[in-house]
Amino acid sequence: MILTSFTFIIFCIVSLLIYFIIPKKWQWIALLGSSLFFLFYKNFNIGTLVHILVAFGAAYFSAIFIDEYAHQKQAKWFLIEGILFILGQLMLLKYLNLFQNFLMSPIGISYYSLIMISYIVDVYRGLCKPQKNPLKCALFMFYFPILTSGPFIRYPDLENKIYAKHKFNYDNLCRGLIRIVWGLFKILVISQRLAIFVNNIYQNYLTYTGLYLIITCLFFTLQLYTNFSGSIDIIMGISKIMGIDLPENFRSPFFSKTITELWRNWHITLGAWLKDYIFYPLMKSNFIQKIGAKTKKIVNKKVSKKVTLYISLLIMWILIGAWHGIESKFIIGSGILQFIYMFLEDLLSPITKKVCKKLKINYNSLGYRIYQCIRTYLLFSFSMIFFRAASIPNALSIIKNIFIFKKGFLTNIFSLGLNKANFVVLIISVIVLFIVEYRQLKGDVTESLLKQNVVIRWTILYLLIFAVLIFGMYGPGYDETIFIYQQF
Amino acid sequence: MNKAEIYKKLNEIFREVFDDENIEVNANTTSADIEDWDSLEHINLIVAVENEFGIKFNMGEVTTMKNVGEMVEIISQRIS
Repeated sequence: MILTSFTFIIFCIVSLLIYFIIPKKWQWIALLGSSLFFLFYKNFNIGTLVHILVAFGAAYFSAIFIDEYAHQKQAKWFLIEGILFILGQLMLLKYLNLFQNFLMSPIGISYYSLIMISYIVDVYRGLCKPQKNPLKCALFMFYFPILTSGPFIRYPDLENKIYAKHKFNYDNLCRGLIRIVWGLFKILVISQRLAIFVNNIYQNYLTYTGLYLIITCLFFTLQLYTNFSGSIDIIMGISKIMGIDLPENFRSPFFSKTITELWRNWHITLGAWLKDYIFYPLMKSNFIQKIGAKTKKIVNKKVSKKVTLYISLLIMWILIGAWHGIESKFIIGSGILQFIYMFLEDLLSPITKKVCKKLKINYNSLGYRIYQCIRTYLLFSFSMIFFRAASIPNALSIIKNIFIFKKGFLTNIFSLGLNKANFVVLIISVIVLFIVEYRQLKGDVTESLLKQNVVIRWTILYLLIFAVLIFGMYGPGYDETIFIYQQF
Repeated sequence: MNKAEIYKKLNEIFREVFDDENIEVNANTTSADIEDWDSLEHINLIVAVENEFGIKFNMGEVTTMKNVGEMVEIISQRIS
């Protein structure tokens, strides 16, 4: 079910109505019903059911046995067995495509699999008790809002919210609706508009060179962001209406001064997941500690710390790339290249500071900060060429053609799917987006909007709704299947 | 080993890990009080503490420890 489809709107309205009409003690059961309907919508067959039951069973029973044998050797075995089962089903179905002829990957498999792993690891670490009621446990793992694009939720953070009784709250409804409309604006007005242009060029990438390709690469980064963060806005909004706050997944990433900072503000919950469940255990592992001890003996403590950090980061980034897809373009684009950027940033940072001092450039000045943000955007957009292109050779060919400049300055730019009027709408919308994102850095924009007087509040909200209705890209040519992060 | 001795040993470890001879830790010391105490140095610190006291923290403790006081509590429980 697509987040901007009519079916999804009806599904949400019905789910919310049921949620608030029925007795409060049954609310979580209604939510489970909605979630299972969403999970199996247009994908119900015995194979998928068995597959989901196996994954769920592995997580559910592992957590119970881990708790049963807490602080004993067996707990570790149940943890390993659980992780292997969950990872195994993910690999078999999603990455190796072993059953592709007769079994479709369930929606959200990459999301709920990692959520299941975090659940059993948290039980093992003593951060929470296992949920013994299998239906309640299933609700946490298959909570429908997060099945499309995340965010990654943690059981200790959500157990008090997801099963709690929630009264209908007008304030939550307003906050949720504002978030949903903002998400729709990002997706329908900006992302879908950019998609038309970007898809046109990527499908005929051999025809274009120079500025056309540069604009396309810059556009794609924005398309990806508005698409992904817009989906998250809709998800957070729906959950907010039910009184269930989900963790934020983005924090104005394009105002980041470095790639390292950008990744702290982009897909935040995936980063936090990897830090807690991969990076920390890896850094603490005997393997990394032995490397650290050896390099300390050969060189010095400072270098040894860096070596262990870089090795762990490289492993983590390869895994981030692989989470997006096992194809080499993902492993390079959203994995290794990001590592290289961070490695170089760390290595060159003292040199840059020295150069700035010599040239008397104030690196805290607004001008320098803007330069850093633009540089980060450009570097990130470059890596996204691999992410978006069909394959590595395609990406390399695009990169090569970027440096070829033909005569004529963007002569047919308005004939690539977006006419002048569309470009004007796009530019104004992007300016609005950046103003809101900048304002968001200083505090929650929804909060400030709700604090305004009635006239301003409703004028802004109506303007946004009308912008979505009038300038949203649907109707002929609209491709609602372009939900980039739903495929992962 | 009593708590005062644990603090004394911890002080030495902190100075070694963060390369700062002026560090003085107490129960309320947090990562906000020591400039280089980020998530990476936290792991280096944990490993150094584990090696010195011959104990193991579980990852739940590693990620939820709020201040040095909590660390000392765990250490004193493990070595007693």
